[in-house]
Amino acid sequence: MQLDFAVAWKYLPFLLHAALTTIALTVVSQALGTIAAFFLALARMSPRAWLRRPTIAYIWVVRGTPLLLHLFFVYYAAPAFGITLDAFPAAIIAMSASAAAYNAEIIRAGLQAVHRGQVEAAYAVGMRYGQVVRRIIVPQAVRIIIPPYMGNAISHTKNSSLASVITVPELMLTAQMIYSSTYRAIEILTVTGAIYLVLTSCLSALQMYCERLTAYEQRGLGEGRRRRLRLDAPLPTLPA
Amino acid sequence: MIEIEDLHKHFGAVRALDGVSLSVAAGEVVCLIGPSGSGKSTLLRCINFLEEPTSGVVRVDGNRVGWEDGGARRASARELARTRAGIGMVFQHFYLWPHMVSLENVIEGLVTVKGMPVSEAAARGRALLEKVGLADKMEAYPEHLSGGQRQRVVIARALAMDPRVMLFDEPTSSLDPELVGEVLRVMEQVAAEGRTMLVATHEMGFARKVADRVVFLDQGKILEVGTPEEVFGRPRHERTRRYLETILV
Repeated sequence: MQLDFAVAWKYLPFLLHAALTTIALTVVSQALGTIAAFFLALARMSPRAWLRRPTIAYIWVVRGTPLLLHLFFVYYAAPAFGITLDAFPAAIIAMSASAAAYNAEIIRAGLQAVHRGQVEAAYAVGMRYGQVVRRIIVPQAVRIIIPPYMGNAISHTKNSSLASVITVPELMLTAQMIYSSTYRAIEILTVTGAIYLVLTSCLSALQMYCERLTAYEQRGLGEGRRRRLRLDAPLPTLPA
Repeated sequence: MIEIEDLHKHFGAVRALDGVSLSVAAGEVVCLIGPSGSGKSTLLRCINFLEEPTSGVVRVDGNRVGWEDGGARRASARELARTRAGIGMVFQHFYLWPHMVSLENVIEGLVTVKGMPVSEAAARGRALLEKVGLADKMEAYPEHLSGGQRQRVVIARALAMDPRVMLFDEPTSSLDPELVGEVLRVMEQVAAEGRTMLVATHEMGFARKVADRVVFLDQGKILEVGTPEEVFGRPRHERTRRYLETILV
């Protein structure tokens, strides 16, 4: 067997261009899915059954069925309901829906890990629900959520290759087209795999960075916070 | 200042509070004593509506907590938050927010609830932290503080809101014995300033020294109310006597 990586080199620009589509597909669907997931997580924890039950059902169905099926469903079945979508927006919808379901459970776990006493202390100083979520729960939950969330983002990146089956010209489909015309499957797949590895490695690095960023008690107060709190000003005296 | 009328709180079949009535005057320090599970915590938690009473009325400054328009309808979230902002609470397990340094913990209510500018709130917060003896711990995260220091930050956090009433829910029960004194001294100082205080505690020395009145609770009922001399010196109830014997040995 003779390997010819010159072929892979020649087609590298096409693969890199396709990688941009993969990135766009992943980032946009992950972002939309995360925003939706945050509200799904809150609804999932709601004491109101009319909010909680549909959310549980949604997560159950979407996590319990393959992403491949969602992609086909949005792309091929939607026209039956009078909606025709291009491949890319169809993939965004299906992948966002999937990301929302997985991330909702990750975010819920993080929000629930914040101790109930933390929340009560916030209510006791007079905060309202929105303030408690924003000031007390989310900042603590983010730190807990980062590792599972980033793990899921890595899976999501790789799963974007499934969009190839509904003709989104992302990395995997482009690779297939190249090796089926050049018959250089090993070389092209090796390079394609390397590109995926670079993308997921970026996410791993981002995870480590975020974990360092949220290790607040090891970092101390930043200069900005010290200045905002006027910590260098002389100590004031309390009016009697 | 606080009026409690026939307060009941049931958790399923358990009657945590079984008809409690008590009134606390402005500036008064009232200590709640009694065995674990007697309803001390539940009573405090009903006052700021962290627990919703099963029945009965709690009034703070004449306003029924959890209700508005003179008790005609349930309080909105906004109204309830406003009421709570005027009632300081100190918890047995501190519940400082771990992602904020001491000073940020103290000023969080001023900034988020009262909308005070950070610079102004910080000046007030620093003065309060100095008052509780933590001038050198302004920038410390709760994780790096001892239990006694944490509880003093919690007291400063509650005082920052300038509450009409301070509720203390067993503030020294989770502290190492050698750290209890520093917290009790701060509480004494707060009492000396004339703030209305309701303190659930097992610290009989503190109750004897600081309380205007002592309330003995057992099984969700008030068995005895009186001055420290009365309750500790001449308890009228057999149960009070037995409880004091077990705890004062």
